[in-house]
This record gives sequence, C-alpha cells and structure tokens, in this order.
Amino acid sequence: MPRHRQKHNMACFQRESPALKEILLRLYRAEKPMELDHHLYEFGSVEYHVQASASIPDNTYLSIATPLLYQDVVLSSGLPRYTLEMVKGISPDVIEIIEPPKEGYKLTLRLKYSRIPRNKGGVKMIASISSVQGVILSSQLKDMLMNVNSLEVSQGMYRPVKLIYHPREPFFVIKQPEKITAVFPMRFKEDTDVIIATAFFQELMDIGSSKAFVKAPHCIWSPIPPAELRGEPIEDLSTNGGFVSFDITGRHVEGKRLDKTVWNLLNFYAFVKYHVKSTRGFIQRRMRTRLESLVEVLYNAGIKDEHHIKKKNRGPKGVRKLLNFSKSKLLKKRYNFINKIKRIRSRIKIHWFSRFRKRWLNFSRFSSLTRYEKLN
Amino acid sequence: MAANMLRLYLTCIRNTLEAAMCLQNFPCQEVERHNKPEVELKTSPELLLNSVVICRNEAEKCLIETSINSLRISLKVKQADELENILTKKFLRFLSMRAEAFQVLRRKPVQGYDISFLITNYHCEEMQKQRLIDFIVQFMEDIDKEISELKLSVNTRGRLVATEFLKQFI
Repeated sequence: MPRHRQKHNMACFQRESPALKEILLRLYRAEKPMELDHHLYEFGSVEYHVQASASIPDNTYLSIATPLLYQDVVLSSGLPRYTLEMVKGISPDVIEIIEPPKEGYKLTLRLKYSRIPRNKGGVKMIASISSVQGVILSSQLKDMLMNVNSLEVSQGMYRPVKLIYHPREPFFVIKQPEKITAVFPMRFKEDTDVIIATAFFQELMDIGSSKAFVKAPHCIWSPIPPAELRGEPIEDLSTNGGFVSFDITGRHVEGKRLDKTVWNLLNFYAFVKYHVKSTRGFIQRRMRTRLESLVEVLYNAGIKDEHHIKKKNRGPKGVRKLLNFSKSKLLKKRYNFINKIKRIRSRIKIHWFSRFRKRWLNFSRFSSLTRYEKLN
Repeated sequence: MAANMLRLYLTCIRNTLEAAMCLQNFPCQEVERHNKPEVELKTSPELLLNSVVICRNEAEKCLIETSINSLRISLKVKQADELENILTKKFLRFLSMRAEAFQVLRRKPVQGYDISFLITNYHCEEMQKQRLIDFIVQFMEDIDKEISELKLSVNTRGRLVATEFLKQFI
C-alpha cells in the first residue's frame, strides 16, 4: 500500500468516526428500511445517537454531544453560527439541522437518505457526514485563523486562548499582528519518549529553517514556556517535553490550505505520539535482528565442533538400524519370558519351595549390546 | 586517529583476556559437592587474581576479574548524549534479558558498568578459548557500531517525518 494512503488509514488521523460511518453505511445499504436506536461513545467524551424508523425511512436522526474546542464560548444560543454553517456545508441536500437539538446533545441532524445517490459518491457522502465531530471542532479554529490578517485591535488581543482537542492535552493559540502562534505544551509518560520526541522537535526546527521550507510555518521548540504564556496556570505549563510553537500567517490559511492547516494543528499531538511509538517499535525490531547475528558468532565458537564430533562417533547408518532392531526383539523376548514365569508361579505351590525360589528363579540381569556398563 | 585508539584498546583487552583465561575446574572449598564460580563469590582471596581495569577514556572502560575457575568481564560503553544513553541502556538490557542465548552473558551487569560476561571453566571446555576471546572483542566492536547506527536511524526517521509534516502546509 502506498505510504500516503497508509497515513490516511491511521485511525487517529481519520476525520470520520469509523463506528459512526459503519452504522450509517449499514442504513444506506439496507434493502428494506430498518429500525435503529444506537448510542456510540468515543474518546471518553464524544457521544453519538443514531435513530432510524422503519415506518418513516427518510427520517434518520443523528445527535452529537462533544466538548468544544474553545470552552469560553457562550452556549445559551447553541453552537456558533459559523459552526452550523460548516456542518450544513458538508452536504446541504442531505443534512437538515434540527432546532433545538435533543436534550443532552449539542447538535441534532436529520439525514435524508433518499437524496443520497446510489453510487460511490453516496459512500463518500456518508464518510463526510461521519466526520461531523471533526467539522464542529475545526470550525472554531478556522474561525480564529481566518481573521489572522485583521488589523482590528481588541482588548486582550495577546491573551492566549486555551483549546482542547484531545482530553488532557490542551494547546494555546495567541493572536498577534499578522500572525497567530499555536503553542503545544508536550508531555510524555516515559523518559525514553521525551528523548525521542526532543530529537524529532530539533529535526523539525532544522527542516523548518531550511530554504526548501520557507513557506511552511516557522517552528520553534524550547524547554521553557514561551513569554506569551506567562500568567497561565502552572498545571498547564508544567511539561517534560518542552513547548513547540508554530507561527501561522495569512499564506497558510488561504483557500483550501485553511482546512489542512487546521487539521494538522489539531492532530499534532497524535502525530508526535504516533512517531514516538513507531520509533520504539523500529528500535525493538532492529535489536531483535541484531541479536540473531550476535548469537550466531558465539555458536560458531564451539557448538558446531561438538556437533561434528557427536556425529562422527555414532557409526554408519546401517549398523545403527540393525542395533535398534535387535534391541527391540530382545526386549520382547525378555518380557514374554517373565510373564511365563509369573504364570507358572501362580499355579504351582510347593512346600519349602520358597527357600529355594530365590536361588533357582534368580535370573542374571540382561545386558544390552548397545549400553555401556561401568566396571567397579 | 579514533580508529587507531580503538584498535589499541581492543588489542590490550585481547592480550589481557588471553593471559587471564586459564581456568580449571575447582570445587567449592566451603560447601561439599558444590562447584561455584569463585569470581562471583569472592569468599577465598587465595583463589582470586588481581582485577584489571583498561580505560580508553573516562566514559569507556573494561574491568577484567579473574579467579581459578571463572572470569568476569564488565564493559562500560561510551554514551555521548541522552539519545545514545537510552539506546545503549535499551539495547544492553534487551541482550541481558536474553542471556541464555549467549551462555556467557550475565543477566545483570556489575554495578558501574553497562554489561557483564561470566566465563567459567565449563565454557572453556565446551568452546575454543581463542574464539571466545574473538567473540568478546567482536561484541565490543559490534555494540559501538550498532548504537551509532541506531542513533543515525532514529535521527533520519525524525527528519523524514518532520519533512512530511511540514510539506502539508506548503
């Protein structure tokens, strides 16, 4: 499989929810309208509720509950208008936003399955609908990034905004004149991960400052919090992997690049963690391969010679076969003879015979032709 | 220059091992019918020879401890930075956990060193002495080479991944 396709198949970088996609596709491919009431939970905080009725086949309801990227948004009037427009824009003919949403959910959509074409395009549409959670979260960041070139100076312009895409992994966005800086505090569970990630961040800085990547966002890694984050709570600033900052300018949010930039920023943590995990796996595989070659050297030091000597003293193959055959025959004979004696013993009982039994019926030990007996 | 230094270091270790690896069977003096490697127990000083430390520099050294029936070789591998440090630790720990495959490898290194070998008179009977010494010296060379290659590979992977990540913004 080509590498670029492999990247898109990684679950952590897929926009669509795999479980939700499977359920919507099942409804799409069903020959008859079916009854469905399914709850899905993802990442511990995202909930989907899919309801379909067999009696009204064109009314399939999808409700979503997800924590928002930007927690300070006032939610009394529901999701921001920009977010609702982005969601509707996934597929305007198929999606209808239900107001107000179902209780306990941020958004409820009605999906008109009759308007989904019955071809490959239909499957693609279902995949786009399954990415609704990603659309909701990225819409907030898009809204912020789209105003990067605005000269409007508002109170608290340089105040960092805390965004949470993955639970327990917040990052900060700081609006500045003509650019927006995204700062990622990096935390890892193990020291090995910290060192591998630090090596990666240094390569990222090196590559980012090269001529070939002048157009890419300027990237800085520092072990201490940047000056812009002064005043933030200490628990957000205590890290073991340092801070990675990206400067996003107007060039990175033009046209189709906006969507890519937003998606890359939202998945930066997942990207780094995946790289660290792959590197650890690579090191392990490499060590296993090396172990075999190191051990082989030692085996050649002695065991081969021993094996050779053992083989030499065994004798020709034909003689070995003959010996094996005679041994089994002799053992059989002995067994039959002993059984015969036992039978004789049980029939005959002679008085005073027991005294002489030991002397008469004491047979010498059978010595095998192939076994060595130690002489005392 | 560095290659020359390494050659001298390895030659010194080889010569010392050739002199030290004169082992014979010697049953334990304290417990009847027991046969233990005296270099590990160190209970009878008359059975121990003087240990030798061969230092290439402050970071790299080799400790050779000999007794009548066993020989212990401990190595300290050079670690220039944190990445080499973790790679060395991981790799040598990986090998130590599979010590039975090596027969002469000790499961736990001596304190202050990264890896240790224990060679007994039985090993000398089963294996050729020259080849054992060749194995130890070759092992030292291979470890250095492997750590350097691993470090290079990790950095190369990081560079490739960083390139792919930044390409998406262009």
